[in-house]
Amino acid sequence: MKTIILPVVFLLMPFSTAFASEGAPNIGETLPLYSVIPFAGMLLSIALFPLLAPKFWHHHFGKVSAFWAIVITIPLLIAYKGAALYEVLHIVLADYIPFIILLGSLYTVSGGILLKGTIKGTPIVNTIMLAIGTALASWMGTTGAAMLLIRPFLRANANRKNRSFMVVFFIFLVANIGGSLTPLGDPPLFLGFLRGVPFFWTFNLLPHMLVAAGILLIMYFILDTYFYKKEAVSAPAPANQSTKEPIRLEGSLNFLFLLGIIGAVLMSGMAHWGEVSILGVHRGLQDVVRDGLLILMAALSMFFTQTRVREDNAFTWFPIQEVAILFIGIFLTMIPCLKILQAGAKGELAFIISAVREPVHYFWITGLLSAFLDNAPTYLTFLSTAMGGLYTGAPESEAIALLIKENPLYLMAISAGAVFFGAVTYIGNAPNFMVRSIAEEAGTPMPSFFGYMIKFSLPILILVFIIITLIFFR
Amino acid sequence: MKIERLLFPTKFGEVDLNSLESLSVLKDAGLKEVILFYVIPREEVGFVPYGGYLKQEEERIREEVRIRFEDWQKSLSAKGINSRIIIEVGEPVPNILKIAEKEKVNLIVVGKKKKVAHDGPFVGSNTLQIITRSKIPTLVSKYLVQFEHEGESVTRTNDAIFKRPLLATDWSEPSERALELLISLNGLIEKAFVCHVIGVKISKSIDKTELHRIEKESKERLEKYCERLKFAGIAAEPHLGAGRTIMEIIRISRDVKASMIIMGTTGKDRLHDFFLGSVSHRAAGMSELPTLLVP
Repeated sequence: MKTIILPVVFLLMPFSTAFASEGAPNIGETLPLYSVIPFAGMLLSIALFPLLAPKFWHHHFGKVSAFWAIVITIPLLIAYKGAALYEVLHIVLADYIPFIILLGSLYTVSGGILLKGTIKGTPIVNTIMLAIGTALASWMGTTGAAMLLIRPFLRANANRKNRSFMVVFFIFLVANIGGSLTPLGDPPLFLGFLRGVPFFWTFNLLPHMLVAAGILLIMYFILDTYFYKKEAVSAPAPANQSTKEPIRLEGSLNFLFLLGIIGAVLMSGMAHWGEVSILGVHRGLQDVVRDGLLILMAALSMFFTQTRVREDNAFTWFPIQEVAILFIGIFLTMIPCLKILQAGAKGELAFIISAVREPVHYFWITGLLSAFLDNAPTYLTFLSTAMGGLYTGAPESEAIALLIKENPLYLMAISAGAVFFGAVTYIGNAPNFMVRSIAEEAGTPMPSFFGYMIKFSLPILILVFIIITLIFFR
Repeated sequence: MKIERLLFPTKFGEVDLNSLESLSVLKDAGLKEVILFYVIPREEVGFVPYGGYLKQEEERIREEVRIRFEDWQKSLSAKGINSRIIIEVGEPVPNILKIAEKEKVNLIVVGKKKKVAHDGPFVGSNTLQIITRSKIPTLVSKYLVQFEHEGESVTRTNDAIFKRPLLATDWSEPSERALELLISLNGLIEKAFVCHVIGVKISKSIDKTELHRIEKESKERLEKYCERLKFAGIAAEPHLGAGRTIMEIIRISRDVKASMIIMGTTGKDRLHDFFLGSVSHRAAGMSELPTLLVP
């Protein structure tokens, strides 16, 4: 045991000494550059372990997340004491908990809606399903829309020979690009909302989304038509008419709870009922009420939805537990990175701020990092970078308001980059791996990590993103 | 009602094979096929965070399970019982219920086959869900149990469960079906017992005359049940109890040295089930005997 503990202590010693020797109130200005190592370690763990040691990762990801969280939190607390404690409590109470509550409630409510019936996977039907999923993603979350539609989509195409590309386009559209219009759609946008971006502001991404989704849907339709015609020769006889099940939705009551979620989030963005102090962290009363309402919507969904509906959806708490466990590590480890970036030119990451100047830079750098790291922390990192660069030293809420008013293109670039590029790899956004897992379980062969990129995302998505750049961020 | 096809889900617990073998006597009551069922929990192979699906792991588990089941099949085959293996990825409760309906089995065998700790009821949460939701008779098998009785720790092996069954009836339709099932086990039963308990709620709320009337009526009904069993060639003995229903059933089962409790089970509303559970489900949880619940 000593052989494990001693090197860790040894590694931490210089780190905590560095903290202790400084200790200024604005911790972003004094934090050393190497304090971002745990954040990088956490994100690289998410990126590499599933590839290199999937079995180990599957059983021990919680310990890995805890390790990185402890590696940063303890030295931070020792060095900065009250200031660090405040930052830790603030990120947990004001960011992490609302974030998990929103994801959890969307996941629970959408998991109670079941689409049943016999759907024949023709190119037209598939394209319509993808378009519906893309439209729904902004309102029930990319995870919710993906979970609602992936099984019916797979069932509809069970007799098709070439299915891998269909699931890939499903990931592109439903699990990512579709979620760009509201803070409910994709986790990074909700984090932006929590920090002051208005609910409907993200609708500014509608043109970007329509262009991206339009190109992808046309490409999909052409590809699917090609394969459909090719497969028709050897396609099995159509299913017996008597076994055809009419298309229907079960658990429709959950749409009401979904409306409740949308209403609660909207309310928290519009109302200002004063503040409450929780463990010294000031939170808007409307935010606390919103979180309570979201929990209520999830509880009502659990109570009023038939167990059978959730079972037919193969609903399980495991994916949301995974997200909760991993994201506590992500949120805690990203504290130094966010604080340094917010310190702008006074922080150790000033070189990034000076290198990333134009909206086009933000679109591509946020995007490329979102593709390989999780897009939620990447969004926050570059939001902080933009604020640090343009409004150094301004309080966060003020800086965001100014950013929206004076330089909205930056926020659009960061938002579009974080959401769209999440589709470039399996690890870019949480629903990607869920969709892949469900497809593989259902017998659809999916490309490997690099196969997905080389065969699909790089040739298709990068082309789409170049077009987006030329139209909107040039 | 006859047990011709049986579903035996397992997690390969320590005495699961012994439990399965103890059920092979059902062949004499018409058992034709046993379906050996294993559910690979989805969490074991799916939803690898940011990864996907562990296909190789699934295949490895499937192979392992197949090899172990094939060994069990030899034992069943030696007893002249056909068997099939089904392995699925999913959630235990819904998958067991679905496969039971799909395969049209007549009996599901659930529950931990070995329970030696004194740390709670004899049924776990999965078993409780299955017995609550199943529309098919379900046997909560308790092959090896350890429990407290009169201040002492007793270890019991329930290996001849059909010899002295105790039918606890509340005169409901499911109780009638339980009686029919009991009759179908004819050749396996040494002696059957039928009991009814006049619950505390009833005895508290009525006067003595009314209580005597109910007592008389209950005895007559018990006799009728016994007569039907005797007509089918099964020796039967009636027992009337009074007081807390579950405790009385357990007391009678111990007094008559019953080998199994068989009960009808009615679906209660969700709130009632959530907070209290039905008498039959609680009996399954509290009695050390295997409990056969007939919906």
